[in-house]
Amino acid sequence: MSPIPAPSDQPVELRTEALEALLVEKGLVDPAVLDKFIKTYAEDVGPLNGAKVVAKAWTDPDYRARLLEDGTAAIAELGFKGPQGECIIVLENTPTLHHLVVCTLCSCYPWPVLGLPPSWYKDPAYRARAVREPRALLEEFGLALGPEVEIKVYDSSSEVRYMVLPERPAGTEGLSEEELVPLVTREAMTGVAKAKSPA
Amino acid sequence: MTLLPLDIDGPAAPPRTNGELVFAAPWESRAFGLAMALHDGGLFEWEDFRRQLIAAVARAEAAGGEFSYYRCWLEALQTLLDSSGVVDRASVDGRAAELACRPAGHDHRHDHDHPH
Amino acid sequence: MDGIHDMGGMQGWGEVDFDPDEPAFTAPWQGRAFAICLLSMNRLTGRNLDAMRHALERLRPLQYLQNGYYGRWLLMAETLLTDSGVIAPGAVDARARKLRGEDVTEPPEPEPSKPDYTPAGPGSLRQIDAPPRFKVGEQVRARDIHPLGHTRLPRYARGRIGTVERIQPAAVLPDTNAHFVAENAQHCYQVAFDSRTLWGQEAEPFVLHLDLFDDYLEAAS
Repeated sequence: MSPIPAPSDQPVELRTEALEALLVEKGLVDPAVLDKFIKTYAEDVGPLNGAKVVAKAWTDPDYRARLLEDGTAAIAELGFKGPQGECIIVLENTPTLHHLVVCTLCSCYPWPVLGLPPSWYKDPAYRARAVREPRALLEEFGLALGPEVEIKVYDSSSEVRYMVLPERPAGTEGLSEEELVPLVTREAMTGVAKAKSPA
Repeated sequence: MTLLPLDIDGPAAPPRTNGELVFAAPWESRAFGLAMALHDGGLFEWEDFRRQLIAAVARAEAAGGEFSYYRCWLEALQTLLDSSGVVDRASVDGRAAELACRPAGHDHRHDHDHPH
Repeated sequence: MDGIHDMGGMQGWGEVDFDPDEPAFTAPWQGRAFAICLLSMNRLTGRNLDAMRHALERLRPLQYLQNGYYGRWLLMAETLLTDSGVIAPGAVDARARKLRGEDVTEPPEPEPSKPDYTPAGPGSLRQIDAPPRFKVGEQVRARDIHPLGHTRLPRYARGRIGTVERIQPAAVLPDTNAHFVAENAQHCYQVAFDSRTLWGQEAEPFVLHLDLFDDYLEAAS
């Protein structure tokens, strides 16, 4: 194991810049490649991926059809795949049908589209109650569904992963695909909320 | 450009908000990108970096005080670069000292589109 | 196993603690625990997601509940590493105490015993030739099995009758794969259960879907 490094006098911001400069000068790092890595990891991951899938489905009927037919393939069209994404099924919400996703046995979650699961998804209260009293649970999350809305719950007990395609909110007809993305939360894509309405 | 599974489930995984990576300051993102780019260039094995990172985090936690994840990241990177003889700590400190002498506002690269 | 992890339908938990803005890791050690675990799974103990899940399930109930998600991952990593003889039992505890300044004798290095088990392919999905045993629309009963080891048939569904809604991709059977015994690749079915079948006539009306392996099911009609 290397010796413990001595502390430096220079602030960390300058040390980082210095390190980058030296490495670029030695030809070991291309700043453009560095930029690309930052952009990719900072922007192209987590629930943002799923939000992009949803926004595209809302604005492109052919994509929507492909997404519902073969979620894994359609999601991969946008470049999203990887661990816990071997088989993703997309569940379409309608005004009379609401879907809820859970993993009662551990916390299986569709990482390629939603990133890491949030605490509430892993909470024993959620895991225990989502399969027993979903309507009451959703009300506690702030989502009160009318009696005409049927609820379907999916317990992720195999390697199949589920993502909810929430309804497109009213009043968003004029918004572009890009403008729709921020309205889609991971709560909406798991089924404990609807997509946000435009401000 | 090889994307490591780091983005979701990486080693000593970076801070996030709601699943998204968070860089509290620009230097953090540069340190992040540096490690990625160097690894992509084949300079070190990712497992070696992770080991150093975990050790750096352990030292920081033992030392107490305010914890900065990306300081540990940078330290891990520097340790690897030191031991492989690529760029030693003294050179970095020296360059940092030179940069500290710049007039204010010049803390960015020169390949940009405004004159000075 | 009929462990604490099998939580579906359990009562008494109260409300879900919901914070829409929480970060993925609330403390740095959590990221590290997650990382150590992935390192363990992928490199040192053989890539076996099912074994990893089963290591989690083997935690004692209080450990499972009190350590939180990332604490569980850390303990799970320790279990996997010990199973494979990478670290000795008690090694992590001894090192932690030593780091705190206690005078502790660390256990000797163990004999490595990484299972000699190679996956037949990437991931869990497999192609199999035999046609599925059940058809969409067919009624099936989840068998009332109580395996001592790993299973993905939750207690709440055992003995219950549901309807096949979808044929899922065939995959390795977690029950045998988790123990490095065999892949046992087989068909998997999405089965729909009426909530009243599971929770009694007074239950909220809804439909619950589970993805169940062929071995978990028998014909019901």
